[in-house]
Amino acid sequence: MSTARTTQAVITGLGTAVRGLDGPAGLLGPLPAGHRSAADPVSRLTGRGLRYKDRATKLAMAAARDALKAARLIDDSGELTVPGESTGVVASTNYGNCDTVCETVQTIAESTYLATSPMLLPATSSNVVASWLAITHGLRGANLTLCNGPTSGLDAVNWARLLIAAGRLDRALVVGVEPDNPAVRHVTETPDPDAYDEDGAPELFDGAVALVVESPASAEARGVRAVAGIGPYARRGVHADAVAEVRALRPGPVGLWCVPEHPAGLRAPAPGLGAGAGTAPVHDLSAWYGPASGALGVMQCAAAAVWLAERATGPARGGVLDRGAGAACDDVVLVSAGTGDAGGDDAGSALILTAPGAAVPRLVDSAR
Amino acid sequence: MSWLVTGMGAVASIGGSVEEIFGSLIAGRSGLAPLRGYDRDSFRAQVAYEIDDRPAQGVDEPLRATRWLERAVAAAAGDAGLGDDLSRVPVLVGTTLRELRSVELSWRDKVPFDAADLHFGTMLRRRFNAADTHTVANACSASLYTLALGTDLLELGAADTVVVAGVDTITESTYGLLDRCYPEAPDRVRPFDRARRGMLQGEGAVAVVLRRESDGPGAGTHVHARVRGVAVNCDAYHPSAPDAKNIAAAVEEAHRRAGVRPADIDLVMLHGTGTPLNDEAESTALGTVFAGLDPSPYMTAIKSMTGHTAGASGLHSLVAAVDVMRRGTVPPTVYLDDPVDAVAGFRLVRGAAERPMEPLRIAQIDSFGFGGLNAVAVVERVDEPPARDAVRDEGAGL
Repeated sequence: MSTARTTQAVITGLGTAVRGLDGPAGLLGPLPAGHRSAADPVSRLTGRGLRYKDRATKLAMAAARDALKAARLIDDSGELTVPGESTGVVASTNYGNCDTVCETVQTIAESTYLATSPMLLPATSSNVVASWLAITHGLRGANLTLCNGPTSGLDAVNWARLLIAAGRLDRALVVGVEPDNPAVRHVTETPDPDAYDEDGAPELFDGAVALVVESPASAEARGVRAVAGIGPYARRGVHADAVAEVRALRPGPVGLWCVPEHPAGLRAPAPGLGAGAGTAPVHDLSAWYGPASGALGVMQCAAAAVWLAERATGPARGGVLDRGAGAACDDVVLVSAGTGDAGGDDAGSALILTAPGAAVPRLVDSAR
Repeated sequence: MSWLVTGMGAVASIGGSVEEIFGSLIAGRSGLAPLRGYDRDSFRAQVAYEIDDRPAQGVDEPLRATRWLERAVAAAAGDAGLGDDLSRVPVLVGTTLRELRSVELSWRDKVPFDAADLHFGTMLRRRFNAADTHTVANACSASLYTLALGTDLLELGAADTVVVAGVDTITESTYGLLDRCYPEAPDRVRPFDRARRGMLQGEGAVAVVLRRESDGPGAGTHVHARVRGVAVNCDAYHPSAPDAKNIAAAVEEAHRRAGVRPADIDLVMLHGTGTPLNDEAESTALGTVFAGLDPSPYMTAIKSMTGHTAGASGLHSLVAAVDVMRRGTVPPTVYLDDPVDAVAGFRLVRGAAERPMEPLRIAQIDSFGFGGLNAVAVVERVDEPPARDAVRDEGAGL
């Protein structure tokens, strides 16, 4: 779909729930050695009602709370600071509730329906993550769950922007989440980690990343600083076509390219991914964190936002990337997911993120 | 802005096409049948509204939902004159359970399944060369949610033609957990009846083609209906219990977007699942919205014949509403013998199909899902010369 009239949205908050990662800034580098033994981010959640929530939901809740707090959409006591009707949720997950479905059907086969717990019923529906996020924070606006394959996370970010552009929302909490559990390893044909030692086990991303996507008018009215602007987006059958389309709409140098997850364990950008990014440094999050499926696009956008914010304010911390102080506000990051024809995926998506200062004028009818 | 429905396609337990389904609905013919796909000894409930296309009793196979979606999209695209090339057309698919039944078969019975088939874009790419495809897993309001998203794409100028669809099969996990939830196993879907015992799942798929009204029908020769407005929201209240207040808000927003008043609504296609919680929330919300109107709009709940087709149910109701308005016959809510007090003031059609004297011009379609996801659409009849088969059907007294 074209994006000519739908580029007006900014990112105002980030959150992560990834074992071994202290926060969004860590997305600019690989996970630290020994990250598998770091504290489970789910342990940050407290209170009742966690027992019957699946791991994807709990990971998403942990990341979402941080993003909402960073965007000042919840206060110190966790109360929403804006009308619930003006705020929605867009979740991206391809495997989030596979564990509930697989475990339940196994239980039925072994002990009939009587051995199941009715508390698990809502989690058989793939929207369970998004609905718990809405319930937890009182987000009564449009609520979407994208289960769209490898491109899902980028598609979700774009749907958040479209919901804002269409006047349905002023802002949306966007969460990408995938859990690592036996059901997901079965579906994705990833070998079980029990067969390996600590360092040799094949990675599978286990975590969540959250963003707040907001209209510039809303961010301005709330006095919240944007960390990135959201630019052109395209989903096309060939990855290179998606990249070319967004690059045509936003030409100029690319400061960083976050590349798709590669099929068959390929750990470096393949020529088939297209030359749209030119000579931009490449950031391969799947190589660092393991295949991340529906979480990848959201994670890429969060990494892009961190990189852009640091470029705008100067180097703030050590990292793997060269960052120049006082960078120009025309910095852009290209993010793309799904390899399309190159890897057997059904499509590729591409999205441009811009420096916060490059945000375009406010939306009409968005100041609810 | 308003949008034209220029193509429709559907499959369900009661028919393999829009025409067959409508014929069943007005004949009061239900798709209820003994459970076909699973080991019946594992369940207390023994019936469902399945599509009878498995190789044999008790023998299940993967990718049935994908198969039905392909049929519905092909029918809708053909009807709209798009043919089989959707390479420049966004396709938005609403679903509750995606291909999770295939995941169950893969996990437990070792039936081969490719993870790429969990989302429907894989088939849509292969069959229709469609690349801008989106699997929206929005529970039982999913297909009306995709209708809202489709109208947004058209309004924003992001596309000129959009296919919106819905599909669901029954997963064994959901069937078993529903069985665990109800005090007694439902033997049929009885919306708003005192003897209701809960919801039973149905299977099916549905697709419609949308265009901006200002652009006309494009390659199509049909204008089936006009979409006036679609509202979506979320209760943010409970994972499975609906909230009447927020449902009423969604209905009121749909009216506002459509530029209509409650008195303009001639027909309400109820969500009507036959669960006490849903029936109560929906009747309370509609009692508020239509307060003081006597008589109320005509109302009917087709899940009594299709079962709860979940992510497909909203558009199944919409497609039925188009035919109801076009042909002037309202299908009954079957198995509704003893209505609860909450619907006493509603003009619910039951027993047999009804042909109102007055024309039915504007329909409201309700669709609500787990997680408090609400979607409500307002659709208007478009007068066009009746198609030949429609004349023949009416003559046959359908």
